[in-house]
Amino acid sequence: MVAQLQSRGLRYGALALVILGFAYACSNRQSGGALVGGDVAQRVYVAPGTHDEFYAFLSGGFNGQIGVYGLPSGRRLRTIPVFSQYPENGWGYNEESKAMLNTSYGFVPWDDTHHPALSQTNGEDDGRWLFINANNTPRIARIDLARMETDEIIEIPNAGGNHGSPFVTQNSEYVISSTRFSVPVPNTDVPIADFKSRFKGQFSFIKANEPGKMAIAFQMLVPGFNYDLARAGKGPSHGWMFLSTYNSEQANSLLEVNASQNDKDFIAAVNWKAAEACVKAGKGKDAPTDYLHNVVDEKSGVARSERIRSVLQLLPANCPGSVYFLPTPKSPHGADVDPTGEYIVAGGKLAAVIPVHSFSKMQKAIEGKEFEGELEGIPVLKYNSTIAGEVQKPGLGPLHTEFDGKGYAYTSMFISSEIVKWKLGTWEVVDRAPTFYSIGHLMIPGGGTSKPDAKYVIALNKITKDRYLPTGMELTQSAQLYDITGDKMKLLLDFPTEGEPHYGQAIAASKIKDRQMKFFKLAENTHPRVARTERETGVNREGKNVHVRMTAIRSHFSPDNIEGVQLGDTVLFHVTNLEQDWDIPHGFTIMGAQAGELLIMPGTTRTLKWVPSKVGVYPMYCTDFCSALHQEMSGYVRVSPAGSAVALTGTLSKGTSAAAGEKEK
Amino acid sequence: MTRTARWIVGVAALAMSAAYVLPLWSIGLIAPQYPEGLGMLIWINTIGGFKENDLNSINGLNHYIGMKEIVPDSIPELKWMPVILGVLIVTGLAVAWIGRRGPFYTWAVALGLVFVAGLADYAKWGYEYGHDLDPKAIIRVDGMSYQPPIIGSKQLLNFRATSWPASGGWVLVASALAVAGVMVSTLRRRSAPATLAGRESATALAATALIVGVLGCAPDSPRAIALNEDACTQCRMTIVDARFGGQAITKNGCTMTFDSIECLAAWARTAPAGTAKAIYVIDLQRPGTFVPAESAGFLRGALIKSPMAGGIAAFASQEAAEQQRAMLGGSLVGWSDLLADTTADVHNAGTRQ
Repeated sequence: MVAQLQSRGLRYGALALVILGFAYACSNRQSGGALVGGDVAQRVYVAPGTHDEFYAFLSGGFNGQIGVYGLPSGRRLRTIPVFSQYPENGWGYNEESKAMLNTSYGFVPWDDTHHPALSQTNGEDDGRWLFINANNTPRIARIDLARMETDEIIEIPNAGGNHGSPFVTQNSEYVISSTRFSVPVPNTDVPIADFKSRFKGQFSFIKANEPGKMAIAFQMLVPGFNYDLARAGKGPSHGWMFLSTYNSEQANSLLEVNASQNDKDFIAAVNWKAAEACVKAGKGKDAPTDYLHNVVDEKSGVARSERIRSVLQLLPANCPGSVYFLPTPKSPHGADVDPTGEYIVAGGKLAAVIPVHSFSKMQKAIEGKEFEGELEGIPVLKYNSTIAGEVQKPGLGPLHTEFDGKGYAYTSMFISSEIVKWKLGTWEVVDRAPTFYSIGHLMIPGGGTSKPDAKYVIALNKITKDRYLPTGMELTQSAQLYDITGDKMKLLLDFPTEGEPHYGQAIAASKIKDRQMKFFKLAENTHPRVARTERETGVNREGKNVHVRMTAIRSHFSPDNIEGVQLGDTVLFHVTNLEQDWDIPHGFTIMGAQAGELLIMPGTTRTLKWVPSKVGVYPMYCTDFCSALHQEMSGYVRVSPAGSAVALTGTLSKGTSAAAGEKEK
Repeated sequence: MTRTARWIVGVAALAMSAAYVLPLWSIGLIAPQYPEGLGMLIWINTIGGFKENDLNSINGLNHYIGMKEIVPDSIPELKWMPVILGVLIVTGLAVAWIGRRGPFYTWAVALGLVFVAGLADYAKWGYEYGHDLDPKAIIRVDGMSYQPPIIGSKQLLNFRATSWPASGGWVLVASALAVAGVMVSTLRRRSAPATLAGRESATALAATALIVGVLGCAPDSPRAIALNEDACTQCRMTIVDARFGGQAITKNGCTMTFDSIECLAAWARTAPAGTAKAIYVIDLQRPGTFVPAESAGFLRGALIKSPMAGGIAAFASQEAAEQQRAMLGGSLVGWSDLLADTTADVHNAGTRQ
């Protein structure tokens, strides 16, 4: 009997084990594919011929540009070239725009864009301009949103890695830039091991409220940490800027370990109004440096670089009350200010909580001098004196927080790959939504301003893995759209993006779309080589340079036959698009051109530089399909040997400009 | 020892040699960023990954929490274990040959001790890796250690770690159970001879069958569909008709059940290559009976109402299908034809949402 029981027990035991084994194997799956259901397709469906509700401007990360998308459809509308050459429209290739990519290091054809920031009025996105940083060679660009073109780029001296940038104050008084990598100031030949003694961080306050006149108002020199991200104060905290720091250990090698040792790094609170006053009182000093300011002239479309040789520097020690350090666990990434201006939320990427500082407590602590120490003249406040609360067990790897204006905050969690919604004041987590995969920034339209337009949150993800059809070793990057109008976040859409959608801004389409420039008024074109009519076209020689003043209109170039170019000449085609209608750009290129094409908007002039390398006849043509006779919109350039007797002419048969070449001679 | 007992011991000892070619233990890791999973397989003489670079990836991730790198060459047990197991197999065969109780008991106890010691050693390594963390680690969570479970699942930060015996481990478990069965039986026989012998032999035989089953990859065979309970993997509808349907057994050993050939084919068409290691369909003439899809015959467009209205029925063979065609109509096709045919997907497009 005993044996019978034992053997039966054995059998059942073995069976149980086997079943458990299979149960495990089959529970080991997870899928995001099944999370979407119901009316989701309708929520993101924008019928053919109708418009999206929001513009979204997503940085392209390592493509150096900005992608323009519509929401909620996720449709990509356009790429705005900023810091990288863009052969598709000639940005950085044509003679007008080349200067935009000039830096104190020379011409730089590529950069890494991270954080677009819309200009603000009264703490609200106003849709006039978009600012964006170049990470690698420190610069900030301003993009005019009526034309969606880059207008102005300013270099930031004494910076290394312009990551914490640009962040806009509530009336666009300033955009701010902080240095990611501290560097010797001024940058010179010093041993890297002297990091702690010689390397400095800096915050640059750049005047940004006048087009074409961006200027570094002043730079504050701060301890040689790494500075990460920032937000301007708003409402009661207007006049302050909050910037996160990591590597307060001041490591200069193997930062992933050596910069992760301190339990707390800092958020730097900068009273920029106090700093302004110090500057006015002459407490700063001009330091020699070297940086460029590039601006596109609005009327001619020609960019010019201005070299600037000094910058006004201010030491916090010489301006007491301008900077405070708020201890913050641990290697904080985001420093985000809620719409009321009271709370400063830190995303401590290695921290187990989300710490939230209170602006009012901070002010009391400053008044009461509740300091625990001082670093290079900067008082360090006590953690308990500024902290308003901590969100417990939020998830793993909190990075960035945006707000809905209804009392809730949304924080991205990189490691646990989710968005966590929590309540300001009670600090309780109320909802979580998985992201696919490894979310970096998240973005709510206006979610960093005083007036969020909180219909959606977008997850800007770092990897996509299995979410799309695979495309070789490199897979697409992606964003995800969630509805946040209800209590629970609801995933609506995945949409692929160009480059890495590092961060983005979105704004109601109504704030931008009716202000779009349709064409440039030809009469206002002041380009030095403009041809406003075909009568003004022509060819002329200036030494080895041959200038071709050319026009493009449906469906011909004038002139379209050019002779008398000699080997050794440099030919400059100045092509003016005579069209005065929306959506009629013309393109221009010529065989063997070692540059991107010209894409010429109606009413503007663009110049292609061409150095023919061989004798022969070269076809040229319009590259942007413009009309039924686009295929006929072409011409030839004849290149003769050097010293040839062929006369320089530019002709258009039966055209008014047939003799124009002769006339200009 | 009875003849049966000696045979069982011999087979069990020999079966253990499977541990030289099959992994003993698996530790699976799933995280949001690793939907496809990562994992380690512990073999008798080395540690590998589920996939080629998994061990590298796991070591790469472990550096964040300051765990030591897992280097198989630095673990001496992986050198001794093949020898110890070899000795156990050879002595086990000798014990079966000799057929005397004394050596058998000694061997069985030694086997048990080695197994217990092996598990304890595994737990020890797990503990050491999980607790001996670099104090300068990038991510330090107070009170957190990262010891994987010995058996079962556990959340380690963003990873869910699941530890189970792998196929080789199951062979060892089954062999041990068989030996234990023989031991109990032999002990009982000594105190109460004859009467229970039949039953005890049956027990030991069952254990042997289990070994054979595990060796023969038991998870490759389909399991009975529970009508009105199981749902179709593809269309998620509850399965109500025992005459249709099928099962796919994935390489992970999961069983996917389908209510119709249409759904099974639609799933098989879209699943990544190599997902299924075996596919079975139900023979229309023998409801509830599975036949391998590869050798089955199918009628498409038959006068029969299949669950997803695709009119597809399966039969044990092409010949059987051809015989039924006279009555049911439709066209005779093979499994590969169904896989190539995408028209049946229409039926699933609507229901998958």
